[in-house]
Amino acid sequence: MAAETVICIGCPLGCRVSVAVDRRGKVAGMRGARCRQGEKYVLKELREPVRTLTTTLRTADRDFPLLPVRTSRPVLKALMRDIVRETASVVVKPPVKCGQVLVSDVCGSGADLVATTDWSLRAGSRKKER
Amino acid sequence: MVERVDVAVIGAGPAGLAAAVAAREQGAERVVIIERAERLGGLLPQCIHNGFGLLYFGEDLTGPEYERMFIRKAERAKVEARLESMALDISPDLEITAVGSRHGYTKIKTGAVVLAMGCREKARGALGIPGGRPAGILTAGTCQRYVNVDGFIPGRRFVILGSGDIGMIMARRLTLEGAKVEAVVEIMPWPGGLIRNEVQCLHDFGIPLLLEHTVTFIHGETRIQGVTVTRVDRERRPIPGTERFIPCDCLLLSAGLIPENELSVKAGVELDPVTGGPLVDENRQTVIPGIFAGGNVVQVHDLVDWVSWEAEVAGRNAARFADRGGIPFREEVRVRAGENIKYVVPQFISGEEEVTLHLRVTRPGLRAALLLGGKLFKRYRSVRPSEMIIEKVDVGRLSQAIGDGELRVDCRLGEEA
Repeated sequence: MAAETVICIGCPLGCRVSVAVDRRGKVAGMRGARCRQGEKYVLKELREPVRTLTTTLRTADRDFPLLPVRTSRPVLKALMRDIVRETASVVVKPPVKCGQVLVSDVCGSGADLVATTDWSLRAGSRKKER
Repeated sequence: MVERVDVAVIGAGPAGLAAAVAAREQGAERVVIIERAERLGGLLPQCIHNGFGLLYFGEDLTGPEYERMFIRKAERAKVEARLESMALDISPDLEITAVGSRHGYTKIKTGAVVLAMGCREKARGALGIPGGRPAGILTAGTCQRYVNVDGFIPGRRFVILGSGDIGMIMARRLTLEGAKVEAVVEIMPWPGGLIRNEVQCLHDFGIPLLLEHTVTFIHGETRIQGVTVTRVDRERRPIPGTERFIPCDCLLLSAGLIPENELSVKAGVELDPVTGGPLVDENRQTVIPGIFAGGNVVQVHDLVDWVSWEAEVAGRNAARFADRGGIPFREEVRVRAGENIKYVVPQFISGEEEVTLHLRVTRPGLRAALLLGGKLFKRYRSVRPSEMIIEKVDVGRLSQAIGDGELRVDCRLGEEA
Protein backbone atom coordinates (compact mmCIF):
# COMPACT_ATOMS: atom_id res chain seq x y z
CA MET A 1 0.00 0.00 0.00
CA ALA A 2 1.45 3.36 -1.05
CA ALA A 3 0.45 6.75 0.33
CA GLU A 4 0.18 9.90 -1.72
CA THR A 5 -0.51 13.45 -0.60
CA VAL A 6 -2.64 15.85 -2.59
CA ILE A 7 -3.23 19.46 -1.57
CA CYS A 8 -6.75 20.55 -2.41
CA ILE A 9 -6.97 23.92 -4.16
CA GLY A 10 -10.75 24.25 -3.95
CA CYS A 11 -10.67 26.90 -1.21
CA PRO A 12 -8.22 28.79 1.02
CA LEU A 13 -8.24 25.92 3.51
CA GLY A 14 -5.78 24.00 1.34
CA CYS A 15 -6.43 20.58 2.91
CA ARG A 16 -3.50 18.16 2.77
CA VAL A 17 -5.21 14.95 1.84
CA SER A 18 -3.34 11.69 2.20
CA VAL A 19 -4.55 8.89 0.02
CA ALA A 20 -3.78 5.20 0.35
CA VAL A 21 -3.35 3.49 -3.00
CA ASP A 22 -3.24 -0.31 -3.29
CA ARG A 23 -0.97 -2.35 -5.56
CA ARG A 24 -3.31 -2.14 -8.53
CA GLY A 25 -3.43 1.65 -8.24
CA LYS A 26 -6.87 1.73 -6.68
CA VAL A 27 -7.72 4.25 -3.97
CA ALA A 28 -8.19 2.34 -0.74
CA GLY A 29 -8.74 5.23 1.65
CA MET A 30 -8.50 8.98 2.07
CA ARG A 31 -7.79 11.20 5.06
CA GLY A 32 -7.66 14.96 5.57
CA ALA A 33 -10.28 16.31 3.18
CA ARG A 34 -12.71 18.54 5.01
CA CYS A 35 -15.47 18.38 2.40
CA ARG A 36 -16.96 16.13 -0.27
CA GLN A 37 -15.94 18.43 -3.12
CA GLY A 38 -12.37 18.17 -1.89
CA GLU A 39 -12.57 14.36 -1.99
CA LYS A 40 -13.82 14.54 -5.58
CA TYR A 41 -11.02 16.90 -6.55
CA VAL A 42 -8.43 14.60 -5.01
CA LEU A 43 -9.75 11.56 -6.87
CA LYS A 44 -9.68 13.45 -10.16
CA GLU A 45 -6.24 14.81 -9.39
CA LEU A 46 -4.92 11.28 -8.79
CA ARG A 47 -6.62 9.69 -11.78
CA GLU A 48 -6.17 12.39 -14.39
CA PRO A 49 -4.60 15.69 -13.31
CA VAL A 50 -5.41 18.41 -15.85
CA ARG A 51 -4.48 22.09 -16.17
CA THR A 52 -5.31 24.98 -18.46
CA LEU A 53 -2.03 25.88 -20.13
CA THR A 54 -1.29 29.47 -21.03
CA THR A 55 1.75 30.37 -23.11
CA THR A 56 2.73 32.49 -26.11
CA LEU A 57 3.32 31.93 -29.83
CA ARG A 58 5.84 33.87 -31.88
CA THR A 59 4.88 36.41 -34.53
CA ALA A 60 6.99 37.95 -37.28
CA ASP A 61 6.19 41.46 -36.04
CA ARG A 62 9.12 43.16 -34.29
CA ASP A 63 6.86 45.42 -32.28
CA PHE A 64 4.53 42.66 -31.22
CA PRO A 65 6.75 39.57 -31.04
CA LEU A 66 4.46 37.32 -28.97
CA LEU A 67 0.80 36.45 -29.09
CA PRO A 68 -0.71 35.11 -25.85
CA VAL A 69 -2.60 31.81 -26.17
CA ARG A 70 -4.37 29.25 -23.98
CA THR A 71 -5.59 25.71 -24.36
CA SER A 72 -9.26 25.56 -25.28
CA ARG A 73 -9.76 23.21 -22.34
CA PRO A 74 -7.61 21.74 -19.58
CA VAL A 75 -4.94 19.32 -20.79
CA LEU A 76 -3.13 16.50 -19.02
CA LYS A 77 -0.57 17.98 -16.64
CA ALA A 78 2.14 15.80 -18.14
CA LEU A 79 1.61 17.35 -21.59
CA MET A 80 2.31 20.96 -20.57
CA ARG A 81 6.04 20.91 -21.27
CA ASP A 82 5.57 19.03 -24.57
CA ILE A 83 3.05 21.58 -25.81
CA VAL A 84 5.32 24.53 -25.08
CA ARG A 85 8.30 22.77 -26.72
CA GLU A 86 6.35 21.58 -29.77
CA THR A 87 4.87 24.99 -30.50
CA ALA A 88 8.13 26.94 -30.07
CA SER A 89 8.60 27.03 -33.86
CA VAL A 90 5.05 28.14 -34.73
CA VAL A 91 4.91 31.65 -36.18
CA VAL A 92 1.54 33.41 -36.20
CA LYS A 93 0.48 35.85 -38.91
CA PRO A 94 -2.24 38.51 -38.75
CA PRO A 95 -5.15 38.90 -38.65
CA VAL A 96 -5.91 37.06 -35.43
CA LYS A 97 -9.08 37.39 -33.37
CA CYS A 98 -9.40 36.46 -29.72
CA GLY A 99 -10.63 32.87 -29.46
CA GLN A 100 -9.28 31.90 -32.90
CA VAL A 101 -7.76 28.41 -33.10
CA LEU A 102 -4.05 28.65 -33.95
CA VAL A 103 -2.95 25.04 -33.37
CA SER A 104 -5.63 22.36 -33.35
CA ASP A 105 -5.40 19.22 -31.21
CA VAL A 106 -2.03 20.32 -29.91
CA CYS A 107 0.24 17.33 -29.08
CA GLY A 108 -2.77 15.03 -29.32
CA SER A 109 -4.18 16.56 -26.17
CA GLY A 110 -7.62 16.98 -27.68
CA ALA A 111 -7.38 20.71 -26.93
CA ASP A 112 -6.64 23.56 -29.33
CA LEU A 113 -4.34 26.50 -28.75
CA VAL A 114 -6.46 29.61 -29.09
CA ALA A 115 -5.54 33.29 -29.13
CA THR A 116 -6.38 35.28 -26.00
CA THR A 117 -6.23 38.70 -27.62
CA ASP A 118 -6.96 40.43 -30.91
CA TRP A 119 -3.95 41.20 -33.06
CA SER A 120 -5.44 44.66 -33.66
CA LEU A 121 -5.41 45.43 -29.92
CA ARG A 122 -1.64 45.04 -29.80
CA ALA A 123 -0.05 45.73 -33.15
CA GLY A 124 1.49 49.13 -33.64
CA SER A 125 0.95 50.12 -30.05
CA ARG A 126 4.56 49.82 -28.99
CA LYS A 127 6.38 51.60 -31.81
CA LYS A 128 6.67 54.87 -29.98
CA GLU A 129 8.69 53.39 -27.16
CA ARG A 130 11.83 53.22 -29.21
CA MET B 1 -6.45 76.53 -22.89
CA VAL B 2 -7.98 74.61 -20.04
CA GLU B 3 -10.16 71.70 -21.06
CA ARG B 4 -13.25 70.86 -19.01
CA VAL B 5 -14.44 67.34 -18.23
CA ASP B 6 -16.83 65.80 -15.71
CA VAL B 7 -14.66 62.95 -14.43
CA ALA B 8 -10.95 62.41 -15.00
CA VAL B 9 -9.46 59.00 -14.21
CA ILE B 10 -5.73 58.64 -13.65
CA GLY B 11 -4.52 55.29 -14.99
CA ALA B 12 -5.92 52.93 -17.66
CA GLY B 13 -5.40 49.56 -16.01
CA PRO B 14 -8.27 47.38 -14.81
CA ALA B 15 -9.16 49.95 -12.12
CA GLY B 16 -9.13 52.98 -14.41
CA LEU B 17 -11.15 51.28 -17.14
CA ALA B 18 -13.79 50.07 -14.66
CA ALA B 19 -13.99 53.47 -12.93
CA ALA B 20 -14.39 55.33 -16.22
CA VAL B 21 -17.13 53.01 -17.48
CA ALA B 22 -18.98 53.26 -14.15
CA ALA B 23 -18.75 57.07 -14.22
CA ARG B 24 -20.28 57.14 -17.70
CA GLU B 25 -23.03 54.72 -16.66
CA GLN B 26 -23.81 56.99 -13.72
CA GLY B 27 -24.42 59.80 -16.18
CA ALA B 28 -21.16 61.74 -16.37
CA GLU B 29 -21.03 63.37 -19.80
CA ARG B 30 -17.28 63.62 -20.46
CA VAL B 31 -15.05 61.02 -18.87
CA VAL B 32 -11.35 61.05 -19.71
CA ILE B 33 -8.69 58.53 -18.75
CA ILE B 34 -5.19 59.98 -18.44
CA GLU B 35 -2.63 57.23 -19.04
CA ARG B 36 1.14 57.51 -19.26
CA ALA B 37 1.60 54.41 -21.44
CA GLU B 38 0.79 54.30 -25.13
CA ARG B 39 -2.10 51.91 -24.71
CA LEU B 40 -4.99 50.96 -22.43
CA GLY B 41 -4.92 47.88 -20.20
CA GLY B 42 -2.16 48.54 -17.70
CA LEU B 43 -0.31 45.34 -16.76
CA LEU B 44 -2.98 42.90 -17.93
CA PRO B 45 -1.30 42.15 -21.31
CA GLN B 46 1.67 40.58 -19.55
CA CYS B 47 -0.49 38.49 -17.18
CA ILE B 48 -1.11 35.76 -19.74
CA HIS B 49 -2.17 33.20 -17.10
CA ASN B 50 -5.80 32.43 -16.32
CA GLY B 51 -7.74 32.96 -13.10
CA PHE B 52 -9.16 36.38 -13.94
CA GLY B 53 -12.85 37.23 -14.10
CA LEU B 54 -14.36 34.28 -12.21
CA LEU B 55 -16.28 36.64 -9.94
CA TYR B 56 -16.88 39.52 -12.34
CA PHE B 57 -17.75 37.67 -15.55
CA GLY B 58 -18.35 34.16 -14.17
CA GLU B 59 -15.67 32.90 -16.56
CA ASP B 60 -12.07 31.81 -16.12
CA LEU B 61 -10.23 34.35 -18.28
CA THR B 62 -6.58 35.18 -18.93
CA GLY B 63 -5.25 38.70 -18.32
CA PRO B 64 -5.40 39.68 -22.01
CA GLU B 65 -8.97 38.39 -22.27
CA TYR B 66 -10.04 40.33 -19.18
CA GLU B 67 -8.36 43.44 -20.55
CA ARG B 68 -10.13 43.06 -23.89
CA MET B 69 -13.55 42.79 -22.22
CA PHE B 70 -12.96 46.05 -20.37
CA ILE B 71 -11.50 47.94 -23.33
CA ARG B 72 -14.64 46.95 -25.23
CA LYS B 73 -16.81 48.22 -22.38
CA ALA B 74 -14.90 51.50 -22.33
CA GLU B 75 -15.29 51.92 -26.10
CA ARG B 76 -19.01 51.23 -25.94
CA ALA B 77 -19.41 53.68 -23.05
CA LYS B 78 -17.59 56.35 -25.07
CA VAL B 79 -14.85 56.89 -22.54
CA GLU B 80 -12.13 59.19 -23.87
CA ALA B 81 -8.49 58.19 -23.52
CA ARG B 82 -5.57 60.59 -23.25
CA LEU B 83 -2.64 58.24 -23.86
CA GLU B 84 1.07 58.94 -23.40
CA SER B 85 0.15 61.61 -20.93
CA MET B 86 1.47 61.62 -17.39
CA ALA B 87 -0.57 63.34 -14.69
CA LEU B 88 1.86 65.41 -12.61
CA ASP B 89 -0.37 67.40 -10.34
CA ILE B 90 -3.93 67.80 -9.09
CA SER B 91 -4.77 71.24 -7.68
CA PRO B 92 -7.27 71.73 -4.81
CA ASP B 93 -9.86 73.01 -7.30
CA LEU B 94 -9.37 69.82 -9.34
CA GLU B 95 -7.27 71.05 -12.20
CA ILE B 96 -4.97 68.33 -13.49
CA THR B 97 -1.63 69.10 -15.07
CA ALA B 98 -0.34 66.44 -17.45
CA VAL B 99 2.62 66.16 -19.82
CA GLY B 100 3.53 63.81 -22.61
CA SER B 101 5.10 63.64 -26.03
CA ARG B 102 1.81 63.29 -27.88
CA HIS B 103 -0.25 66.06 -26.25
CA GLY B 104 2.43 68.26 -24.74
CA TYR B 105 1.68 70.19 -21.56
CA THR B 106 -2.05 70.12 -20.85
CA LYS B 107 -4.43 71.27 -18.15
CA ILE B 108 -7.76 69.60 -17.51
CA LYS B 109 -10.36 71.05 -15.18
CA THR B 110 -12.56 68.27 -13.88
CA GLY B 111 -15.64 67.88 -11.73
CA ALA B 112 -14.11 64.91 -9.92
CA VAL B 113 -11.00 62.70 -10.07
CA VAL B 114 -10.55 58.96 -9.68
CA LEU B 115 -7.08 57.83 -8.66
CA ALA B 116 -6.45 54.47 -10.36
CA MET B 117 -2.66 54.31 -10.56
CA GLY B 118 -2.39 50.77 -9.20
CA CYS B 119 0.74 49.59 -7.44
CA ARG B 120 4.36 48.74 -8.10
CA GLU B 121 6.71 46.06 -6.89
CA LYS B 122 9.18 46.40 -4.07
CA ALA B 123 12.63 46.63 -5.61
CA ARG B 124 15.99 45.67 -4.17
CA GLY B 125 16.42 49.03 -2.47
CA ALA B 126 13.35 48.37 -0.33
CA LEU B 127 14.67 44.98 0.79
CA GLY B 128 18.22 45.91 1.76
CA ILE B 129 20.05 42.75 0.74
CA PRO B 130 23.83 42.96 1.26
CA GLY B 131 26.26 42.07 -1.49
CA GLY B 132 27.40 43.31 -4.85
CA ARG B 133 25.57 45.32 -7.46
CA PRO B 134 25.67 42.91 -10.37
CA ALA B 135 23.27 42.68 -13.31
CA GLY B 136 20.58 40.03 -13.16
CA ILE B 137 18.44 41.24 -10.27
CA LEU B 138 14.94 42.21 -11.28
CA THR B 139 11.40 42.19 -10.03
CA ALA B 140 9.13 39.29 -10.99
CA GLY B 141 6.83 41.66 -12.88
CA THR B 142 9.66 43.06 -14.98
CA CYS B 143 10.70 39.51 -15.84
CA GLN B 144 7.07 38.73 -16.67
CA ARG B 145 7.05 41.52 -19.20
CA TYR B 146 10.33 40.36 -20.76
CA VAL B 147 9.11 36.77 -21.09
CA ASN B 148 5.45 37.29 -22.04
CA VAL B 149 5.48 40.52 -24.06
CA ASP B 150 8.99 41.30 -25.29
CA GLY B 151 9.98 37.72 -25.97
CA PHE B 152 13.21 37.00 -24.16
CA ILE B 153 14.30 35.26 -20.98
CA PRO B 154 16.69 37.25 -18.79
CA GLY B 155 18.60 34.21 -17.45
CA ARG B 156 18.97 30.43 -17.31
CA ARG B 157 19.10 29.65 -13.59
CA PHE B 158 16.75 31.57 -11.34
CA VAL B 159 16.25 32.07 -7.64
CA ILE B 160 13.03 33.81 -6.66
CA LEU B 161 12.91 35.80 -3.41
CA GLY B 162 9.40 36.04 -2.01
CA SER B 163 6.47 33.76 -2.71
CA GLY B 164 3.99 36.33 -3.93
CA ASP B 165 1.65 35.24 -6.70
CA ILE B 166 3.64 36.90 -9.48
CA GLY B 167 6.82 35.17 -8.31
CA MET B 168 5.21 31.74 -8.24
CA ILE B 169 3.53 32.28 -11.60
CA MET B 170 6.89 33.29 -13.08
CA ALA B 171 8.50 30.17 -11.59
CA ARG B 172 6.11 28.06 -13.67
CA ARG B 173 6.40 30.22 -16.77
CA LEU B 174 10.22 30.18 -16.73
CA THR B 175 10.29 26.42 -16.19
CA LEU B 176 7.96 25.85 -19.13
CA GLU B 177 10.16 28.08 -21.28
CA GLY B 178 13.20 25.96 -20.48
CA ALA B 179 14.89 27.83 -17.63
CA LYS B 180 15.74 26.25 -14.28
CA VAL B 181 14.20 27.69 -11.12
CA GLU B 182 16.43 26.58 -8.25
CA ALA B 183 14.17 27.71 -5.42
CA VAL B 184 11.52 30.11 -4.22
CA VAL B 185 12.70 31.62 -0.93
CA GLU B 186 10.13 32.94 1.57
CA ILE B 187 11.01 34.64 4.85
CA MET B 188 7.61 33.95 6.46
CA PRO B 189 6.51 30.51 7.74
CA TRP B 190 3.73 30.49 5.10
CA PRO B 191 3.59 31.25 1.39
CA GLY B 192 2.79 34.80 0.30
CA GLY B 193 0.43 33.87 -2.51
CA LEU B 194 -2.65 31.76 -3.12
CA ILE B 195 -2.66 27.99 -2.47
CA ARG B 196 -3.74 27.40 -6.05
CA ASN B 197 -0.49 29.00 -7.21
CA GLU B 198 1.65 27.11 -4.71
CA VAL B 199 0.28 23.80 -6.03
CA GLN B 200 0.02 24.54 -9.74
CA CYS B 201 3.15 26.66 -10.13
CA LEU B 202 5.61 25.09 -7.67
CA HIS B 203 4.53 21.53 -6.78
CA ASP B 204 3.57 20.67 -10.37
CA PHE B 205 7.14 21.38 -11.47
CA GLY B 206 9.00 20.20 -8.38
CA ILE B 207 10.26 23.70 -7.54
CA PRO B 208 11.39 23.87 -3.89
CA LEU B 209 9.69 26.43 -1.64
CA LEU B 210 12.02 27.33 1.21
CA LEU B 211 9.87 28.77 3.99
CA GLU B 212 11.52 30.73 6.83
CA HIS B 213 14.53 31.40 4.61
CA THR B 214 15.84 34.55 3.04
CA VAL B 215 18.61 35.77 0.76
CA THR B 216 21.37 37.24 2.91
CA PHE B 217 24.04 37.91 0.30
CA ILE B 218 24.20 38.55 -3.43
CA HIS B 219 27.37 37.27 -5.10
CA GLY B 220 28.87 38.60 -8.31
CA GLU B 221 30.55 41.69 -9.68
CA THR B 222 29.26 42.20 -13.21
CA ARG B 223 26.69 39.41 -13.44
CA ILE B 224 25.05 37.74 -10.44
CA GLN B 225 26.82 34.42 -9.66
CA GLY B 226 24.53 33.19 -6.93
CA VAL B 227 22.97 33.98 -3.60
CA THR B 228 23.49 32.96 0.00
CA VAL B 229 20.25 31.63 1.43
CA THR B 230 19.89 31.46 5.22
CA ARG B 231 17.25 30.10 7.56
CA VAL B 232 15.59 32.69 9.81
CA ASP B 233 14.26 32.49 13.37
CA ARG B 234 10.83 33.54 14.61
CA GLU B 235 11.85 37.19 14.61
CA ARG B 236 12.95 36.77 10.99
CA ARG B 237 16.64 37.11 11.93
CA PRO B 238 19.08 34.97 9.95
CA ILE B 239 20.40 32.01 11.97
CA PRO B 240 24.21 31.84 11.77
CA GLY B 241 25.53 28.54 10.50
CA THR B 242 22.53 27.78 8.29
CA GLU B 243 23.88 29.58 5.23
CA ARG B 244 24.03 27.82 1.89
CA PHE B 245 25.10 28.99 -1.54
CA ILE B 246 22.73 28.63 -4.48
CA PRO B 247 24.23 29.42 -7.87
CA CYS B 248 22.05 31.44 -10.26
CA ASP B 249 22.35 33.99 -13.03
CA CYS B 250 19.14 35.79 -12.19
CA LEU B 251 17.40 36.76 -8.95
CA LEU B 252 13.73 37.66 -9.14
CA LEU B 253 12.11 39.71 -6.40
CA SER B 254 8.50 39.00 -5.53
CA ALA B 255 8.38 40.53 -2.08
CA GLY B 256 5.27 42.63 -2.08
CA LEU B 257 3.54 45.47 -3.83
CA ILE B 258 3.29 49.14 -2.90
CA PRO B 259 0.32 51.30 -3.93
CA GLU B 260 1.60 54.07 -6.20
CA ASN B 261 0.57 57.28 -4.45
CA GLU B 262 3.11 60.01 -5.16
CA LEU B 263 0.48 61.95 -7.09
CA SER B 264 -2.09 61.44 -4.33
CA VAL B 265 0.22 62.73 -1.59
CA LYS B 266 1.13 65.76 -3.69
CA ALA B 267 -2.57 66.52 -3.98
CA GLY B 268 -2.92 66.42 -0.20
CA VAL B 269 -4.54 62.99 0.05
CA GLU B 270 -3.87 61.34 3.40
CA LEU B 271 -2.58 57.75 3.32
CA ASP B 272 -3.16 54.79 5.63
CA PRO B 273 0.31 53.77 6.83
CA VAL B 274 -0.66 50.07 6.77
CA THR B 275 -2.29 49.76 3.32
CA GLY B 276 -0.06 52.41 1.75
CA GLY B 277 -3.19 53.70 0.01
CA PRO B 278 -5.47 56.68 0.64
CA LEU B 279 -7.82 56.75 3.62
CA VAL B 280 -11.25 56.35 2.02
CA ASP B 281 -14.90 56.26 2.99
CA GLU B 282 -17.47 53.76 1.72
CA ASN B 283 -17.88 55.84 -1.47
CA ARG B 284 -14.09 55.64 -1.98
CA GLN B 285 -13.75 59.38 -1.55
CA THR B 286 -10.44 60.48 -0.04
CA VAL B 287 -10.04 63.28 2.51
CA ILE B 288 -9.74 65.76 -0.37
CA PRO B 289 -13.23 66.63 -1.68
CA GLY B 290 -13.74 65.35 -5.22
CA ILE B 291 -10.74 63.02 -5.24
CA PHE B 292 -11.79 59.35 -5.25
CA ALA B 293 -9.65 56.21 -5.45
CA GLY B 294 -10.15 52.56 -6.34
CA GLY B 295 -8.20 49.37 -7.03
CA ASN B 296 -4.62 48.58 -6.05
CA VAL B 297 -3.85 52.25 -5.41
CA VAL B 298 -6.10 51.89 -2.31
CA GLN B 299 -5.15 48.39 -1.18
CA VAL B 300 -3.33 45.55 -2.91
CA HIS B 301 -6.02 43.06 -3.95
CA ASP B 302 -5.62 39.31 -4.59
CA LEU B 303 -8.07 39.26 -7.48
CA VAL B 304 -8.51 41.69 -10.34
CA ASP B 305 -12.27 41.24 -10.05
CA TRP B 306 -12.21 43.16 -6.77
CA VAL B 307 -10.01 45.84 -8.32
CA SER B 308 -12.73 46.40 -10.89
CA TRP B 309 -15.46 46.33 -8.23
CA GLU B 310 -13.75 48.89 -6.01
CA ALA B 311 -12.93 51.18 -8.94
CA GLU B 312 -16.56 51.08 -10.02
CA VAL B 313 -17.60 52.34 -6.60
CA ALA B 314 -15.11 55.19 -6.98
CA GLY B 315 -16.21 55.95 -10.56
CA ARG B 316 -19.92 55.99 -9.73
CA ASN B 317 -19.43 58.32 -6.79
CA ALA B 318 -17.06 60.58 -8.68
CA ALA B 319 -19.84 61.03 -11.26
CA ARG B 320 -22.33 61.81 -8.46
CA PHE B 321 -19.88 64.33 -7.00
CA ALA B 322 -19.41 66.05 -10.35
CA ASP B 323 -23.14 66.15 -10.97
CA ARG B 324 -24.13 67.59 -7.58
CA GLY B 325 -21.10 69.76 -7.03
CA GLY B 326 -20.05 67.65 -4.06
CA ILE B 327 -20.94 64.75 -1.79
CA PRO B 328 -19.83 64.64 1.84
CA PHE B 329 -16.89 62.57 3.09
CA ARG B 330 -18.58 60.02 5.36
CA GLU B 331 -16.50 60.06 8.50
CA GLU B 332 -19.22 59.44 11.07
CA VAL B 333 -17.76 56.05 11.98
CA ARG B 334 -14.09 55.14 12.12
CA VAL B 335 -13.33 51.50 11.27
CA ARG B 336 -10.63 50.12 13.60
CA ALA B 337 -8.40 47.14 12.92
CA GLY B 338 -8.33 45.21 16.20
CA GLU B 339 -6.91 41.83 17.26
CA ASN B 340 -5.20 39.91 14.43
CA ILE B 341 -6.43 42.36 11.79
CA LYS B 342 -3.84 44.00 9.60
CA TYR B 343 -6.17 46.52 8.01
CA VAL B 344 -9.76 47.18 7.02
CA VAL B 345 -10.91 49.21 3.99
CA PRO B 346 -12.86 51.52 3.97
CA GLN B 347 -11.37 53.26 6.99
CA PHE B 348 -14.44 55.51 7.41
CA ILE B 349 -18.14 54.74 7.00
CA SER B 350 -21.46 56.47 7.54
CA GLY B 351 -23.00 53.56 9.44
CA GLU B 352 -26.23 54.34 7.60
CA GLU B 353 -25.75 52.14 4.58
CA GLU B 354 -24.77 48.57 3.81
CA VAL B 355 -21.01 48.36 3.47
CA THR B 356 -18.52 45.86 2.05
CA LEU B 357 -15.47 45.44 4.26
CA HIS B 358 -12.14 44.36 2.76
CA LEU B 359 -9.68 43.12 5.35
CA ARG B 360 -6.59 41.03 5.94
CA VAL B 361 -5.55 39.08 9.01
CA THR B 362 -2.06 39.39 10.49
CA ARG B 363 -1.57 35.70 11.36
CA PRO B 364 -3.01 32.59 9.69
CA GLY B 365 -4.97 29.98 11.57
CA LEU B 366 -7.48 27.19 11.41
CA ARG B 367 -10.83 28.01 13.00
CA ALA B 368 -11.29 31.73 13.20
CA ALA B 369 -14.07 34.09 14.18
CA LEU B 370 -14.64 37.56 12.81
CA LEU B 371 -16.01 39.96 15.41
CA LEU B 372 -17.64 43.28 14.65
CA GLY B 373 -17.92 45.55 17.67
CA GLY B 374 -17.00 42.57 19.86
CA LYS B 375 -19.93 40.49 18.55
CA LEU B 376 -19.54 37.37 16.45
CA PHE B 377 -20.13 38.13 12.77
CA LYS B 378 -18.88 35.00 11.01
CA ARG B 379 -16.77 31.89 11.55
CA TYR B 380 -14.14 30.60 9.13
CA ARG B 381 -12.44 27.23 8.94
CA SER B 382 -9.22 28.93 7.94
CA VAL B 383 -7.82 32.43 7.52
CA ARG B 384 -4.56 33.45 5.85
CA PRO B 385 -2.89 36.84 5.41
CA SER B 386 -2.59 36.15 1.69
CA GLU B 387 -6.34 35.64 1.24
CA MET B 388 -8.30 38.86 1.61
CA ILE B 389 -11.55 38.56 3.57
CA ILE B 390 -14.47 40.41 1.99
CA GLU B 391 -17.78 40.71 3.85
CA LYS B 392 -20.95 42.61 3.15
CA VAL B 393 -22.47 44.02 6.34
CA ASP B 394 -26.08 45.22 6.37
CA VAL B 395 -27.34 48.26 8.26
CA GLY B 396 -28.90 46.18 11.04
CA ARG B 397 -25.67 44.43 11.92
CA LEU B 398 -23.75 47.66 11.57
CA SER B 399 -25.93 49.50 14.06
CA GLN B 400 -25.44 46.68 16.58
CA ALA B 401 -21.69 46.72 16.11
CA ILE B 402 -20.99 50.46 16.11
CA GLY B 403 -20.23 52.10 19.44
CA ASP B 404 -18.78 55.52 20.23
CA GLY B 405 -18.40 56.37 16.56
CA GLU B 406 -16.24 53.32 16.04
CA LEU B 407 -16.56 49.95 14.31
CA ARG B 408 -14.00 47.61 15.81
CA VAL B 409 -13.02 44.55 13.78
CA ASP B 410 -11.26 41.56 15.40
CA CYS B 411 -10.34 38.08 14.24
CA ARG B 412 -9.96 35.55 17.03
CA LEU B 413 -8.04 32.37 16.29
CA GLY B 414 -8.10 28.83 17.61
CA GLU B 415 -10.37 27.05 20.06
CA GLU B 416 -11.81 30.13 21.77
CA ALA B 417 -13.07 31.21 18.35
